[in-house]
Amino acid sequence: MDIILATIINGILMGGVYGLTAMGLTLIFGVMKVINFAHGSFLMAAMFVTYYLFQLTGIGPYLGLFIIVPLLFAFGYFTQQVLIRPVFKIERDVREPISVLMLTAGLWIFMDAFALALFGAFYKTIKTPYKGSVLHLGDVIVSVSRLYAFLTAVILAILLYLFLKKTRLGKAIRATGQDRDAARLMGINIDRIYNVAFGIGIAIVGVAGAVLMPFYYVHPVVGVVFDIRAFIIVVLGGLGSIPGALLGGIMIGLVESLGAQFMTATWTEGIIYAMFISVLFLKPEGLFGFKAEW
Amino acid sequence: MNLLELREISKSFGGLKAVANLDLTISQGEIVGMIGPNGAGKTTVFNLITGLHFPDRGDVHFNGEKTTRLKPYDLCLKGIGRTFQIVKPFGTKSVIRNVMVGAFCRVKTAQEAEEVAREVLDFTGLYPKRDMLAKSLTIADRKRLELARALATRPKLLLLDEVMAGLTPKETDDMISLVRKIRDQGITPFIIEHVMQAVMALSERVVLLHHGEKIMEGMPQEVASDERAIKAYLGEEYVVARG
Amino acid sequence: MKREEGRAIPLKIGRKTWIALIGAVILLVFPLFIRSPTFLQFMILILWYAYLTTSWNLVGGFAGVLPLGHAAFAGIGAYISSVLFIHYGLTPWVGMFAGAFLAAIVGVIIGTPTFKLRGAYFALATIAICEALRVILENTQKFLGFDINGARGILLPLKGHSPINYQFLDKRYFYYVILVMLAIIFYITYRIARSKLGYYLMAGGEEKEAAEALGINVAKCKLIAMAISTFFTALGGTFYMQLVHYIYPRGIVSLDLSFEIAFIAIIGGRGTLLGPIVGAVLLVPAAELTRTYLGGSYEGVHLMLYGAVLVAVMVFKPRGLMEPLEAFYRWALGKFSLQPLMQTDRGE
Repeated sequence: MDIILATIINGILMGGVYGLTAMGLTLIFGVMKVINFAHGSFLMAAMFVTYYLFQLTGIGPYLGLFIIVPLLFAFGYFTQQVLIRPVFKIERDVREPISVLMLTAGLWIFMDAFALALFGAFYKTIKTPYKGSVLHLGDVIVSVSRLYAFLTAVILAILLYLFLKKTRLGKAIRATGQDRDAARLMGINIDRIYNVAFGIGIAIVGVAGAVLMPFYYVHPVVGVVFDIRAFIIVVLGGLGSIPGALLGGIMIGLVESLGAQFMTATWTEGIIYAMFISVLFLKPEGLFGFKAEW
Repeated sequence: MNLLELREISKSFGGLKAVANLDLTISQGEIVGMIGPNGAGKTTVFNLITGLHFPDRGDVHFNGEKTTRLKPYDLCLKGIGRTFQIVKPFGTKSVIRNVMVGAFCRVKTAQEAEEVAREVLDFTGLYPKRDMLAKSLTIADRKRLELARALATRPKLLLLDEVMAGLTPKETDDMISLVRKIRDQGITPFIIEHVMQAVMALSERVVLLHHGEKIMEGMPQEVASDERAIKAYLGEEYVVARG
Repeated sequence: MKREEGRAIPLKIGRKTWIALIGAVILLVFPLFIRSPTFLQFMILILWYAYLTTSWNLVGGFAGVLPLGHAAFAGIGAYISSVLFIHYGLTPWVGMFAGAFLAAIVGVIIGTPTFKLRGAYFALATIAICEALRVILENTQKFLGFDINGARGILLPLKGHSPINYQFLDKRYFYYVILVMLAIIFYITYRIARSKLGYYLMAGGEEKEAAEALGINVAKCKLIAMAISTFFTALGGTFYMQLVHYIYPRGIVSLDLSFEIAFIAIIGGRGTLLGPIVGAVLLVPAAELTRTYLGGSYEGVHLMLYGAVLVAVMVFKPRGLMEPLEAFYRWALGKFSLQPLMQTDRGE
C-alpha cells in the first residue's frame, strides 16, 4: 500500500514538472497557433545554463532563476523576432502555417545537433545542498528537490493564470490569441505581443529547466523526451490552457509512475501514445473541457 | 416538375434558429432572387441545399430526387453548382487551371478539361486572362472566376451567393448580362443578392427572408414596395416614421 | 500578365528533355565505370532518399498535409517481406508486395481519422503513430507466430548472390533496382500531377469547401494519395533490408528518418515533381560528407546541417529550392544566350 502511495505521490510530483514544461508550449500555441517543435531543445538549453551557472558561480537553480528567466526570455524573444516572424508574415494568408512548423522542427534538429557537437557525451547533474534529502510524510519518502519543483510548477501556474486574466499585458496577449485582426484594430502591436508571448513561453521553459537540474541529468538530447511529452500534455490539457497543461502533466506523471511499477518502460510509453492518439481523435479540444481561456 | 423543392426546412445552430419552416420551389429556367437583411439565413439556405449542413427538419428535393442528406460533391455531380459569398479561388494557380478543376467533374482527361475550361472562360469573358494567377485578379474578375469554375461543372441549378457585392455599376451590369446569358443556356440561376438594382433587373420572382422565415414572395416590384420588406431591412421605426 | 506557376514542373519537349535524356544515360551507365563500393553505396543512398521523398511527396506535397511519421511504412514493408522470407522462404520480390499492400491498407486506416485534423494536429498524430509502432515492435517478440525479436531486430539470412531472393553481392545490382524504382515513382507522380487526381488533390488542399462544391470528394482523394504513397514507401523499406541485411525498430521506424524525408522534400520543394529529388541530390551528399569528414570529432554534425538548411530555407524560400533553381536555370541560359534552337518548346 505504501508503495502505491509513494508511486502516486512521485507521479504527481514529476507530473507537475512535466506540466511546467508544457505550460510554455501551450501558451505559445494559444497565442500564435504554432506548435513549437523546438520546445525540448530550449529546455535542454535552459538546463545547460543552470548547470554552468551552478558550476561556475555556485548559484543554485532557484536563486539562479533571477538570471535564467530573463536570459531565456531574451532567447525566446530573439528567436521569434528574427526567425519566426518573417516566416509567419509570409504565411499570413495560408490556412495551415506549415512552414513555421518546419522551421521549429529545423531549429529542434539544429539545436540538439549543435549541443551534441559541442558537448558530446555529456551527462551531468548538479549537487545542490538539498540533493538527496528527503521528507518523510508518514511512511512515504518524498524527494525534496522534486517537491520544490512541483511547488514551483503550481505557483507558476497560478501566477500565469492571474497574469493572463488580470494584467493589461496578459489581456492583450489573450486578445491577440482570440482574434488577431480585431486586436490589431484595437491598437495592440501584434508583433510585439508575439515576441513577448514567445519570450514568456521560453522563460517558463527556463524555469522548468532550472527546477529539473537538482534531480535530473542534463545531456544534449535530454530535450527529446520532454518535447514529445509536452506535445502530448498540451493536447490532453487543451491547447492554450495553462491549468490544462498542469493537470495534463500530472496525469502523464501518474501514468508513467504507476506504469513503471507494473510494466516495462516502453509499454508505458506505448500507453501514453495510445492515450494521446485517442484524445487527438476523440476529443481534440482536450480532456478537461477547459474552454479556450482566450 | 420543379427543379428544386424545399419542404419545411428548419435549421438551428446552438440555440439560434437560422432557418425556420421554409417552403420554396424553383422551376427550371426561372430566375429567383432571395433577399433579406444580413443574418436572415440566406446563405444557410444555400448551405442546406448544397449539403454543407443538414436540416434539422424538412427535405430538399432536386430534380425529383430527395437530396437532403447528400454530400456537396455528390450534389455537384447531380447538377447543383454554387459560388461562395467570400470567393475561394485556388490563389496560387492560374485562371484556367482553376476552371479545369471544375471541368474535371464531367470529364476524365486533362486535355478534355482544358477544352471545357477554354469554352467556359470564353463564355464568361475571362479567356484573355486565362494564364494569370487567380490571386492577382480584381474582385470583379474573381467573382467571374468563381462563376466560371462552377459553370464548368455543367450544373442545372446554379446558386449565386451575392455575386454583385463589391462591384462598380458597370461591373454589375456586366454581371447581370452574364447571369442572363447563363439562363439562356438552360441553367437555372438562384441568386442571393443585396444589390437591389440587380435583383430587380434579373429576378422573375423574389423571396424575402427575415430571421430565417419566408416573409413573403412574389414579383420583384410587389415585394420591394411591400411594407414587410421595408420593415425587415430598415426596421420598425422607419415604417412608423413614414406614417 | 503574370506567368503561371506550374503545379508540377512540366518537362517541355526540347531543351529540358535533352538534358533529362543525357542525365538518364549517365545514371544508367556510370556504375559500370565505378570501382569504389563506397561511392556506389553513396549513390544508392541518394537514390533511395530521392525515392522515399518522391513517394512522400504524394501526400506531403500534393495532398497538402504534413506527415511526419512516414518511416513507419518503410518499416512495415521491411518487416513483412523479411518475416515472410525467413519463415516461408518466400522471395522478397513477392513478399515486398505483401508488405506494400499492408502498408497501403494501414495508411488508409490511419488516414481516415487523421485527415480530419488540422495541420499541426495532423503532424502530431503521424508522429505519435510512428512512435507507437516503434514501441510496439520493440516490445513484441513474436507476431502471429513469427519471430521479430523486439528491439533486437531481424537479421536476414544471407544467401550470397541470389537474384531470385533479392540478394546480390555486387552492389551495382542494387543501384539499378533503386534506379528503376525511382523512375517508376517519378513517372507515377508525373502522371498524377497532370491527371484529375492531381488537380483534385491540389484543390482539396488549398480550399476544401470550394473543392467539395466542385464535385471533389477531398477525403477520398487524400486517401488514394496516401495509399499509393505508403505502398511505394514500403517497397523502399524492403529494398533497404535487402541492402543492409539487418533491421531493428529504432533503425527503420524512426522519427529521425521520417523527419529527414519530410525535410528533404520540403527543402527541395514539396508539391513539385523534381523538388524531392533535387532536395535529395543536394542534401544527402552534403550530410554524408559532413558525417564522414567531421563525424569523427563531432557526432551528429550532419543533422546540424539539415537543421540549419531547413531553417534557412523556411525563412528565405519556404516553398523550397525548386523555384530559385528554376529561376537560376533560366538566368543561366540567358547568360549563355542559349536561345532555343528548338522553337518547338510547347508551353504546357
